[in-house]
Amino acid sequence: MSKKKTKVKVNLTRRDVLTVAGAAFGSALVGQFVTTGPLSPFSTLKQGQLEDVPETGHGAATGEYHWGMLINLDTCIGCEYCLRACSAINDVSTDKPWNIVVEEKTSTGSTFYFSRPCLHCQNAPCVEVCPVGATYHREDGLVIMNYDRCIGCRYCQVACPYDARKFNWEARSDENPYVPTFGTPEVDRRPRGVVEKCTFCVHRIDAALKSGRIPGEDPEANPACVNICPVGARTFGNLKDPNSNISRLLAANPAIRLREELGAEPSVYYIPPKEGL
Amino acid sequence: MAIIAAPHNRSSISPGFLAWMGLIALLVVIGLVAAIQVFVHGLTLTNMYDSVPWGLWITIDLSSIALGAGAFTLSAIVYLFGLKRFQSVVRLAIFVGFIGYTCALLTLVMDIGRPDRFWHPWVYWNVHSVLWEITWCITIYLTIMIMEFLPVITEHKFFNRWPWIREVARVLHKGAPLFALLGLGISLLHQSSLGATYGIVKSRPIWFKPSMPIMFILSAVAVGPALTMTVALVIEWITARRHIAYDVLQTIARFSGFGLLIYGYIKFWDLAAVTYYGRMPNVEQALYTLNQQTPYNFAFWVGEILVGIVLPVILFLIPRFNRNPALLALGGFLAASGVVINRWNVTVSGLFVPLSYSPGTQYVLPPGTYFPNIVEWGIALGIIGYALGMLTLGVKYLPLFNKQEHG
Repeated sequence: MSKKKTKVKVNLTRRDVLTVAGAAFGSALVGQFVTTGPLSPFSTLKQGQLEDVPETGHGAATGEYHWGMLINLDTCIGCEYCLRACSAINDVSTDKPWNIVVEEKTSTGSTFYFSRPCLHCQNAPCVEVCPVGATYHREDGLVIMNYDRCIGCRYCQVACPYDARKFNWEARSDENPYVPTFGTPEVDRRPRGVVEKCTFCVHRIDAALKSGRIPGEDPEANPACVNICPVGARTFGNLKDPNSNISRLLAANPAIRLREELGAEPSVYYIPPKEGL
Repeated sequence: MAIIAAPHNRSSISPGFLAWMGLIALLVVIGLVAAIQVFVHGLTLTNMYDSVPWGLWITIDLSSIALGAGAFTLSAIVYLFGLKRFQSVVRLAIFVGFIGYTCALLTLVMDIGRPDRFWHPWVYWNVHSVLWEITWCITIYLTIMIMEFLPVITEHKFFNRWPWIREVARVLHKGAPLFALLGLGISLLHQSSLGATYGIVKSRPIWFKPSMPIMFILSAVAVGPALTMTVALVIEWITARRHIAYDVLQTIARFSGFGLLIYGYIKFWDLAAVTYYGRMPNVEQALYTLNQQTPYNFAFWVGEILVGIVLPVILFLIPRFNRNPALLALGGFLAASGVVINRWNVTVSGLFVPLSYSPGTQYVLPPGTYFPNIVEWGIALGIIGYALGMLTLGVKYLPLFNKQEHG
C-alpha cells in the first residue's frame, strides 16, 4: 500500500501447496461421492437411465439387426400417404412433418418425387453433438430420442445435414387432421421445449420383436409409412440379414444414399429413377 | 446495502448514482418481464424457427464468454508469467470475467427449451459433445473465478464478524497461481471449443473448417483484456479516481493490439485458404447465396475487420493515439463490438445457408431469414442491465482496486 509498485511476492511454502492440493483432492473426492455415491440425488436416475444407453459414436449397429429403409424414387407417385400416415400414427404437427415429400426434377428435367424420413445415420452428427446424450444410437442402428432427457438446446437440429429434426417451440393443442383417416396415434405428443424426429416407428419394432414377428417381413411390425404406400415404393427390414427383402432389393438394384460425402452413413437408401438423376 | 456502505465515506449516494441505478433497474425489469413471458409461453415467442434455431441469445453467450477472457489472460500474465506490474488490474479482470460468464449462463437458461433440465449436462454425460465439454468447463471456470475472487469479497466490512471466513479466503488466495494455471487450461479448452461448436458441423459449409476454434480463441485473448482496460478507464472517469496506473492500461492495450494483429492475420489466412484451397462447390454456393441475399460481406469487412480489428489496432498501437485514455477506451469498445458482430455473423449466416440434400436438382430449403424480435431484445436488455448493475455494485462496495496483497 505504502510503496508504489510494490514487488508482490507470493510466499508459497510446501505446506501451503500441500494444503491446497489436499483440499482440492478432498473436495474432488467428496464431489465424486456426493454425485455418484449412494447419497446422490441422481443415483436412482443414473441406474435407470444412464446405464442402458450405449456408448455413442461410430459403428452403431452392433447387434443382430440393422434396421434400414429403401425408397424407390422410380415408383413413388408423390401421393403423400407416407407423410399422412406418419403424422397420424406419431401424432406429428402438420406444419413440421417428420417425413417430407417434395416434387423434384432430374438433371434432364423430368419429374420425380423425393421423400425423406430420418435417415438413422450410423455416424449421426446429431448424436455426436448432443450435450446430454438425449439422442443416441441403439444396437439395432436406430437413432432414438430420449424426450425426458432433452434440454432443448437445438444443437442436433443445427448439426443434422438432412433437416430431419424439429423443435417443439410451443405446447401443442392442434387438431390432427389425419386422425382417424390415416390411423390413430400410437405414441404421446412430445412436450414443449424438446426436439423430435422420425423414429422408424420404433414402438412397433420393439413390440413386434417381443411377440416373435420380424419387422420387414410382417406388415404389423413395419413403420406406418411403409405399410400405407400404395405402390410399395418403401421397403423396410434388416440390412444385416442377406435374405431380407431389403437386402435382396439392394443387391439387385443400384442404390444411393444422400450426401455420402459427409460420412454420416445413413441407413436409408434410394433407388434412383430409371432414366437416372 | 446503504446502511452497510455508510461507513465508507466514498460510497455516498448521489442523485446521479440513483438515476443510474434506476436505469439499471428498468433494464432488469424489462429482462424479467421478457423472461417470465418466455417461461410461460415458450420459445415460440421468439423469432427463431426450425431453420434458424439459434439467434441473438447464442450470440450473447458467445460474446460474453469471449469478452470475459480478460480474467484468465491477465491472471496467467500475473501469476504464471510473473509480470506483477499487472497485479492491480487482476481483481477487476476476474470480476469482469465473472460477470461475463454469469451473463452467458443466464442467457443459456433462457435459450434452452427446458430450463428445468439445465442440470442435465452434469449428470448425463456425452463426452463426444463439444457443448457438453463447454458446459463443464464454464462451470469449473466459474468456480475457479469465485475462488479467486473470494478474498476480495471477504475484505468487505460485512465479514468483520466472521474472521474465519476471511482466514479461509486468505488461505485460498495462496492458491492463486494454481487457480491461474487451472483457469488458463480450462479457458483455452472452452474458448476454442466455442469455435469448434461451429467448426465441427459438417452440414454447414461456411462453418466446417479447422480454423474456427483458433479464430475464436485468438479474438477472445486479444479482446478480453481490452474490455477490462476499457472498464477500468470508464470507472476512473465516473469515480474521478485513478485506481490503476495508466501505463499498465496502456500496456494492456498494446498487448490487445498485437493480439488483434495476429487475429487479423489468421482471419486473412482463413479467407485466403477458404477462397483458394477449400473452395468446394457447396462453400462457393453458400458464400454466393450469403453475398446475394444478406449483408454478410458488409458485416465481415466493416464490422469484423474495420471496426473490430483495424481501428482498434491503430488506436492501441500508434503512440500518438494510445497516449489518450479516451481513444483507448474507444478502441476497446470498438474491439468488443467487433467480437459481438463476428459471433453474430458466424452464427446467423451459417444458419441462413439453406441445407441441400435432395438427389434431384430443384429442391433446396429456402434461405433463412432472422432478426430478433422484442422479446429477444428484452432479454438482451435485461442481461445488459444485470452486467452493468453487478459492475456498479462491485465498484461501489468491493475493494476491486486494493493493491494490498495478502500472504
